[in-house]
Amino acid sequence: MIPPRSFWVPLIALWIGLFVWGTEAWAETVYVHAKTAQLRAGKTSLDAVVGNVKFGESLEVVGRDGSWMEVKTSAGTRGWIFANKTSTSKPSGGNDTLARLGQSMRGGDASATTASAGARGLDKASEGYADRAGVSARDREVVDRMTAYQIPDQDVEEFMREGGLGEYAK
Amino acid sequence: MRSNGIWMTSLMALSMTVAGCAEVQRAAEDVARQSGNPRLAGVIHGAGNVVGSLFPIGYEEESSIGQAIALQVVARYGGVVDQPELVRYVNLVGKAVANTSDRPDIPYRVAILDHESINAFAAPAGYIFVTRGLLRQIKNEAELAAVLGHEIAHVSEKHILDVIQRSKRLAGVTEAGLSYATSNPAAFKGVIDGAVKKLLDEGLDQEKETDADTVGEVFAARVGYDAEAYVGLLTRLRDLKGDDRALFKTHPNFSARIEAVQKTIRTKHLASNGLVLQERFSRMTKRV
Repeated sequence: MIPPRSFWVPLIALWIGLFVWGTEAWAETVYVHAKTAQLRAGKTSLDAVVGNVKFGESLEVVGRDGSWMEVKTSAGTRGWIFANKTSTSKPSGGNDTLARLGQSMRGGDASATTASAGARGLDKASEGYADRAGVSARDREVVDRMTAYQIPDQDVEEFMREGGLGEYAK
Repeated sequence: MRSNGIWMTSLMALSMTVAGCAEVQRAAEDVARQSGNPRLAGVIHGAGNVVGSLFPIGYEEESSIGQAIALQVVARYGGVVDQPELVRYVNLVGKAVANTSDRPDIPYRVAILDHESINAFAAPAGYIFVTRGLLRQIKNEAELAAVLGHEIAHVSEKHILDVIQRSKRLAGVTEAGLSYATSNPAAFKGVIDGAVKKLLDEGLDQEKETDADTVGEVFAARVGYDAEAYVGLLTRLRDLKGDDRALFKTHPNFSARIEAVQKTIRTKHLASNGLVLQERFSRMTKRV
């Protein structure tokens, strides 16, 4: 005797539910662990770039092959990423939430730094230190230039490509 | 009425301390001032500083500290090498390693100190220095990557910031953050001078140096550099300087460092057939 429809419908619904839940629960997540990272159409550095991902962004792992990992972003973009640019734990980075909260609570810190901290120029606190410590104008200029020194990310990528480093390994 | 105001603001200050909320702290300060009690407002502000000091140092503060230490390093070592192509090359290697370090989201800059001693330093916020003397001992790009990886690890692991916290205690600084840099510049100078003394004269703790060797070795290997390269450099430095006169006064001796690096290569399965890039290094550093 075939069980009635009222028996099969909930059973099938339960099976579908378990399948969907299981897929979600078992999906492996990794995080971008590099300043810059690109998703490519294939698992070599010669394949076309299909998207860029940011430091700390979460990615769902779809597959792996050697040094490469096929991933999907939360926006649905699918591509291959060099595995060394990912980690299984979420990176906190240089200025995590706790540090920002602490700085906010301490208050008054903003007065010790210029609005363009990180850009060219010594900030107010280090300038004051240089005055008190008698640091010469020449040495101030050195640290000033060092602070402002920048190399575009594309140049670093080109340097790595030329040397066969990272995802450009031959 | 005034008593009620004091109770209200005290309650708000307490909730601020418990919840750690900057907005509540500022609101409580405002209420205290408006109710004609600047002293209480000051107490609340101070409580905010104390609670704030329990949190890690943010990048903006770290940057000010790094700049001040960098000023002293440059002053003590007599300036830097002004060879744009060489400086760019060393920075490219540093950035390649830093980009997949555990802290790739801050700027790293490398300067070459115009000094014949064999040394390297890292100041907070990514200020890294190698001496001309050390650069002359390095034979290939993988060795340079390992040296820079070691210094990047000091920054990413915030080793120098630990020294700063201790310097602050020694200098008797109770304020958190950088507020003392403007309100008490002498104290700020004391803190920086204490950290510089530790960094340049006394050296960091042996534990931190071993940690930087291990972590830096992993950073360089992640980019594809040969993991054995660092062993080669440390071995040559041991032959040059001997085990009793290690690179820095408080570094573990070279034999212990070599052993620790080899253990890292084994346990972390780092590639010893990675890239060395000797030709590129020789071409770019021929005028060192």
